Amino acid sequence: MSIQMIILQLGKGMIVSVEIFMLTLLFSLPLGLIVAFGRMSKNSIIRTVTKAYISIMRGTPLMLQLLVVYFGPYYAFKVRIGSGYRFVAVILAFSINYAAYFAEIYRSGIESMPIGQYEAAKVLGYGKAQTFFKIILPQVIKRILPSITNEIITLVKDTSLAFAIAQAEMFTVAKQIAAAQTTIMPLMTAGLFYYIFNLIVAVAMEKIEKAFSYYR
Amino acid sequence: MKLLEMNHVRKEFDGLGVLKDISLSVEEGEVVSIIGPSGSGKSTLLRCATMLETMDGGELKYMGETAASEKDGSCIYASREDLKRIHSYFGLVFQNFNLFPHYSVLKNITDSLIHVDKVPRQEAEERAEKLLAQLGLSDKRDAYPYQLSGGQQQRVSIARALAKQPRILFFDEPTSALDPELTGEVLRVIKDLARQHMTMIIVTHEMQFAKEVSDRIIFMEEGVIKEQGTPEELFGTDNERVREFIGHLSK
Repeated sequence: MSIQMIILQLGKGMIVSVEIFMLTLLFSLPLGLIVAFGRMSKNSIIRTVTKAYISIMRGTPLMLQLLVVYFGPYYAFKVRIGSGYRFVAVILAFSINYAAYFAEIYRSGIESMPIGQYEAAKVLGYGKAQTFFKIILPQVIKRILPSITNEIITLVKDTSLAFAIAQAEMFTVAKQIAAAQTTIMPLMTAGLFYYIFNLIVAVAMEKIEKAFSYYR
Repeated sequence: MKLLEMNHVRKEFDGLGVLKDISLSVEEGEVVSIIGPSGSGKSTLLRCATMLETMDGGELKYMGETAASEKDGSCIYASREDLKRIHSYFGLVFQNFNLFPHYSVLKNITDSLIHVDKVPRQEAEERAEKLLAQLGLSDKRDAYPYQLSGGQQQRVSIARALAKQPRILFFDEPTSALDPELTGEVLRVIKDLARQHMTMIIVTHEMQFAKEVSDRIIFMEEGVIKEQGTPEELFGTDNERVREFIGHLSK
């Protein structure tokens, strides 16, 4: 297999990796905010449930969670799973896992906000939702961006875990070619691809951080 | 007319009485200063009046409208709509300014006018610009709070409160977070407001200022009003404790 061929194959896998990455962010970032609210809820039942959820998501391997989400419906309930479920399982497992991490980042940001911001908003007559979305959240995002960047970079590399359920993303493809052709080349190329992917992510996040630097 | 009435107000923190049966009323156009040592409850009184703290007992009224009243030993607050209206009667200037750092000076002043009080944007901006000019901050309209000195930030926060056109304005130690050099500019603004007969309640440690600006001074200690009167009365009091406190701070 020629090098062009390898790159082409890997490129196809890369598209799947990018899809996993994008969809995971799309679902886990808002979901994380909801989980963070649950974690900070005044209701002790909601608080305990979300705390347990975060604890399990952070305390067990993502690869294991992936297997549970993918095979669980069949093993536990004998539900037939179609081939289309594979990709859904990947997105589902990644989203609920990353939501837990994002939730804790949101919480740290929200709890670091000075009480005076809430009080000023209250005295000026802002409602609870207005206070959160206009006054608190924009400032929280600025504070948590560096932690979010860390998590997003980890996510790029974690997409490779989808190989555990044979989702044909870049790493799975690279491993297959390497085994078939007995060459290390595809793995090295895949590594380079991941690295470039993350370089782009880092530059983009730096741009976003800059966009928030108009105030302190 | 009585703009503010507080009757038999009680507030406890962890079983510790911070306000013990405080009654206070303020007439339209009156400037009242509250002085007293740290922990005397004067800031808590202000926070109860502005509903940042809920009272444990007593009554709170603005312009004759009841915001909170006591029933069967606990405090009942008015309905959400009533409280919304009552909130528009007063403004509060914080010790730490509490400007919104992600908003420009102009937006700090206009945003709640536009999005809470539904004032048309143009009118809100005109109001803000007029106030900024009045407070000598016209050139700071597009600046962000971090670009301003403490004194300027506090003047912006006064403008933000005034833009809502409150009937009564509270100040919670407005100069305590400022360098001595910067307190003057803020105190000058408050004196100007007093001259315009703005109704104000000011918690302060600035004795000379309180003496000059107030119609009435209240001395608080251990959660009760120990003494009150005109500045002349208070500064000439026989009360040993008040003399000691004032004397100590005036030096």
